Amino acid sequence: MGALAAAIAIGLAALGAGLGNGMIVSKTVEGIARQPELRGPLQGTMFIGVALVEAIPIIAAVIAFMVIGS
Amino acid sequence: MMSNFDSMVTRQRKWMLYWLAILVLCAGFLPYTRIFFGLILGSSVSLYNLWLLQYKSEKLGKTVAAGEKARSGLGTFSRMATAVLAVLIAMRFEEHFHLYAVIFGIVSSYLIMVIDFIFYQFTMRNQKED
Repeated sequence: MGALAAAIAIGLAALGAGLGNGMIVSKTVEGIARQPELRGPLQGTMFIGVALVEAIPIIAAVIAFMVIGS
Repeated sequence: MMSNFDSMVTRQRKWMLYWLAILVLCAGFLPYTRIFFGLILGSSVSLYNLWLLQYKSEKLGKTVAAGEKARSGLGTFSRMATAVLAVLIAMRFEEHFHLYAVIFGIVSSYLIMVIDFIFYQFTMRNQKED
């Protein structure tokens, strides 16, 4: 049961993070390609967004490994 | 003049290094060594994660601005792998590292990032009003 719980946790977290990160990066790339002079602010916004989105799956991965290890 | 992104990167690294220095001092002088060793392990991994995310975002921005096709991603799996590695080390050497302290340490860079962002927005708004 532990392995199943770990698999579901990490799978769902990765799904959400993948969708979120994909949206953030695609819009940033579009923006920078259209206006290269706005690279600084756009990069900053992307950086914060990616960090916030990614915190959850990293915690999920950690919890999954804790469940397997316990 | 440093751009917005560069100054943010420098600030975050600076706060992260301050945090690590405080932890090292606490581990040396306070009695809860197991908790502080865990925090140091987690925060070191967190600093690496922060550096990797900054490096990869900078690289991606430069590549796209130059009109080339971006070939590398943002390194999500590398960051997950380092976090999991820290937890595995903490679970293997449980007598030296407190597991929940390691997890808090891993999250510390994200906390610093958010606090820095809110603080920076607040000071910028105050400067504009003055």
